[in-house]
Amino acid sequence: MSIEKHTNSDLLSLLPKPVSNDHEASLRYAQMIQRALMPDPLILKDKLKDFFIIFLPRDIVSGDFYYVFGNKQKICIAAGDCTGHGVPGALMSILGISFLNEIMKCDLNLNANRILNLMREKIMYALHQTGGCHEAQDSIDIGLCIIDFSTGKLQFSGANRPLIMIRNGELTEYKPNKMTLGIAPVKEASFVNTWIDTKPGDSFYMFTDGFSDQFGEITDKKFKYKHFKRMIHSFEELPMSQQKEHLENAFNEWKGKSQQVDDVLVIGFRL
Amino acid sequence: MMKLEAFRIKNFRSIVDTGWQNISPDNITCLIGQNESGKTSVLEGLKVFYTGIISEDVLRSDLTLPEVSCRFSIPKGWLIKVTANPGTELKELLSGLIHLELTRTWIADLSSVINVSGEISQYLDSLEDAWRIYLNDVTVKLDEELVIIQELEKNLSVLSEEESIIKSKLSQDERKRFSFHLFGRKPVEAENQKNNHFPGLMNQLNELKKQKEEVSELILKKEAIKKAGDTWKKMMNGCILIEKHLKDLSIKLEERHQRMTLLMRPLDDEADSEWKEVLEDFRKTRAEREVNLTALDNHIALSGYIIEGNTEEEASIKVNDIIHSYKSHYNSAFLGKKYFEYCPVFELFEDFGSLLPNRIDMEDIISGNENVEGYKAARNFLSLAQLDYSFFQQQSSRILKQKIENLNRTLTHNFHDFWQQSIGRNNKIHIQFELDHYSSSFVGKAGKPYLEFWIKDEGERLYPKQRSRGVRWFLSFYMELKASANLTDRQKVLLVDEPGVSLHARAQEDVLKVFEDIKDKIQVIYTTHSPHLVEINKLYRVLAVQRDDLDSLKSTSRILDPLQLSSASPDTLTPLQSILGNPMADERYSSKRFNLIVNDTGSFYMLNAVILLMGYKGKVCVIPSTNISSIPLLCNILMGWGMDFGVLLFDNDTEIQLDEYMKNSAFKTENSSRELIMRMPRTFLNSEDLLSTLDFKNHILETREGITVPNSVYIKEKEVPRNFILSKFLSNVKEGKIKVSDFDEETIENFKLVTDLFGSVK
Repeated sequence: MSIEKHTNSDLLSLLPKPVSNDHEASLRYAQMIQRALMPDPLILKDKLKDFFIIFLPRDIVSGDFYYVFGNKQKICIAAGDCTGHGVPGALMSILGISFLNEIMKCDLNLNANRILNLMREKIMYALHQTGGCHEAQDSIDIGLCIIDFSTGKLQFSGANRPLIMIRNGELTEYKPNKMTLGIAPVKEASFVNTWIDTKPGDSFYMFTDGFSDQFGEITDKKFKYKHFKRMIHSFEELPMSQQKEHLENAFNEWKGKSQQVDDVLVIGFRL
Repeated sequence: MMKLEAFRIKNFRSIVDTGWQNISPDNITCLIGQNESGKTSVLEGLKVFYTGIISEDVLRSDLTLPEVSCRFSIPKGWLIKVTANPGTELKELLSGLIHLELTRTWIADLSSVINVSGEISQYLDSLEDAWRIYLNDVTVKLDEELVIIQELEKNLSVLSEEESIIKSKLSQDERKRFSFHLFGRKPVEAENQKNNHFPGLMNQLNELKKQKEEVSELILKKEAIKKAGDTWKKMMNGCILIEKHLKDLSIKLEERHQRMTLLMRPLDDEADSEWKEVLEDFRKTRAEREVNLTALDNHIALSGYIIEGNTEEEASIKVNDIIHSYKSHYNSAFLGKKYFEYCPVFELFEDFGSLLPNRIDMEDIISGNENVEGYKAARNFLSLAQLDYSFFQQQSSRILKQKIENLNRTLTHNFHDFWQQSIGRNNKIHIQFELDHYSSSFVGKAGKPYLEFWIKDEGERLYPKQRSRGVRWFLSFYMELKASANLTDRQKVLLVDEPGVSLHARAQEDVLKVFEDIKDKIQVIYTTHSPHLVEINKLYRVLAVQRDDLDSLKSTSRILDPLQLSSASPDTLTPLQSILGNPMADERYSSKRFNLIVNDTGSFYMLNAVILLMGYKGKVCVIPSTNISSIPLLCNILMGWGMDFGVLLFDNDTEIQLDEYMKNSAFKTENSSRELIMRMPRTFLNSEDLLSTLDFKNHILETREGITVPNSVYIKEKEVPRNFILSKFLSNVKEGKIKVSDFDEETIENFKLVTDLFGSVK
């Protein structure tokens, strides 16, 4: 096993005990900070009929993050997946949360795609990405939606992360732009904004790729996105708390005793 | 304290209604226009606002009477100080006002009254309206009461009639009974009749008496109302008669005005004395009408209380209270008169009496003999030298001469600050005055002091009259203005009709210098045909006067404010185009297009690119200013060319300041149908911010680095050659290398904002 393949916690276990304890304590503290930076999911309680958040960091700190910001009229929900996991991923996630905060606090009337455009500029600026060869290629994949309760409209814009809507038992997938929040291979283009007229009872799901990329203990195969979709679809009538339970059980069963390969984040909510 | 801000003249010579016209906020206003356009009428209209004196000459052919209103700016709270006991509501209104409107109106006898107009009069009118409504209600009640009284009286007379019939029946019955009684027997029928009718009639009579008493009592109760009603009717008839008489007299006065206007000469003596009688009668009757109407109103109010059952004494006490509650003890005329005391002095500078004389007697100056030639100029001269009579009482002639010499030097020195012309190359003129005494050869004046004036140059010493009219005019004009400026107690509005017509172009420019010098103390309104008397960068001072129908002298005069100059005829704009040159033949700067001034060349490229990309079909011509501070100058030039224009301002500090400046001072207009300034509706610091960051990077910078600041800030921080990159951008757009489909939705949205803004101006 090459050292590159070790997770942070693996590395910690290789270190002499007292040092390891110190590092673990630091990471635990960092985890606390990271959790504190992410919004309290309870603020969704007043806004949404029903919701769940599955947040399973692979290591103590996570490269996935979720974000909620809003006022009486609007709410913005995002599920982000930073390159890497563990400490580097966590650092990127903190960058992402900070940029989102900066943007949202400046203007809550921005369209979802404009937020992603602005975020990309900030990330590229922070990481000095100009298209050169030896630059950091870190980035964030993210799905972001804004719900306007006064109009019932939902905007979605995605950087490599889709949105799934289930209405009256029918599943619709809103595809993301095949771009990340960071330097693009050739040329950056504007993210696309998708407008959805919501109806009461509509369920939406945003997620990172941690769930579908998980290898199974028995099969040694990935869970796969199409199975993930099918599973969500099959649970859709259940209350969100039960859906969460089923998803978590399914994930744990699939994973078994094998290593969790990536951070997992799934957000589901019903209007 | 009061500063003239705007005026409105109605029915004065060729003017029907100028509408409210703002005078320039920097106190110098210039009226331009062809001959006979009505410029002088504007000055005269303002003069008569102050003096109130008009003649038939100023009336229009339909004989509608003039009305001149002026709006003054006043310090907040000032009205409270000059209005004693205004009452709670009026006090509240007055304390918040920063403008005061006064209107002078004339009536048939050409006398006039100054009324306070605007908000104050609206308030007073509302009180008057409430008072009228109250009086109308009382009048209706009084009328109803009078009808009731009439009904009661009618009822009473019917009852009285019935009573007399029954009484006569009873007396017949009684006589019959009495005659049988004499014969000592009772006839059967008589006995029967007695038994049948007598008691019945008696009962009827009693009933009638009772009813009569009741009605009489009611009438008695209403006796006071009846009396009040009778008096009311009598007073009403009196008022109607007065009104009719006044109408007849007005017709007679109008006939006279008509004859005067048609004949264009004074009437003969007989007609004149007849007119004087009519005029006298008119004035007397008007005064009488006012008294009668007030008495009638008071009587109606009194009747109201009498109807309510008050005695006449009680009612008259209550009437005073009700008048107090409904009517302010001030009315528009009273307040108008009061405030007019503080109104600036409007003075028309005229050549006669204002030109410096050769000589003037001290006696005439001291006695204020205005009829003597050059009195005003001599008075101005002394005021300018800050001399009063005590100065000339100096016993020592040597000291006096020395003082005069010093003064001459100072005056000349001050004058040279404004008069730059030389006679020859370096030969400047000197002003000199001397005090002398008449010799014995002047009978009746021997020994009396007089002042003598000289205008000297190095070559010769000449009397003012021996000098050119131009020098003399300028000197007199200079003295008038400077002297007026020394009188600090009252604000002054100086009206000057074509100043410096006989002056050289350079001296005309000196006239402007004098205006500039005194503008903080004196507001100047002048007419001119001269381009030298209009400053190129201050065209906001210009009001253009022209006839509605340019080919007819019978048409009415119209005033165009600086932003309406695009509607002015080329002839009206001649003085402006003389200084600005004619607009280029190039269709870019065309009066058929809307000219949009932008802050600089970079924005010029950017906005032209937007126009091309969006395929905007409107006729907009973008004009770049060299920098933001030059925008007012460009506005002046376009105004002078009579072109339709606007200024597009972005959301940066300098342009926000300019917006404030242009809106609050120079380019403030009352009548303009549109806004001169167009502000970008969002936070765009400059034109390049119309592009999204991504499009800015892709199409302008051609770079991929992350940019987290607005595009304009990036350009500044990185010192990017803005004009160059934006010009290149425009070239690429023109060559079709960049198309609208290449931009993201954010940029397109912003471009649309711009084109929508263009659309809104046309």
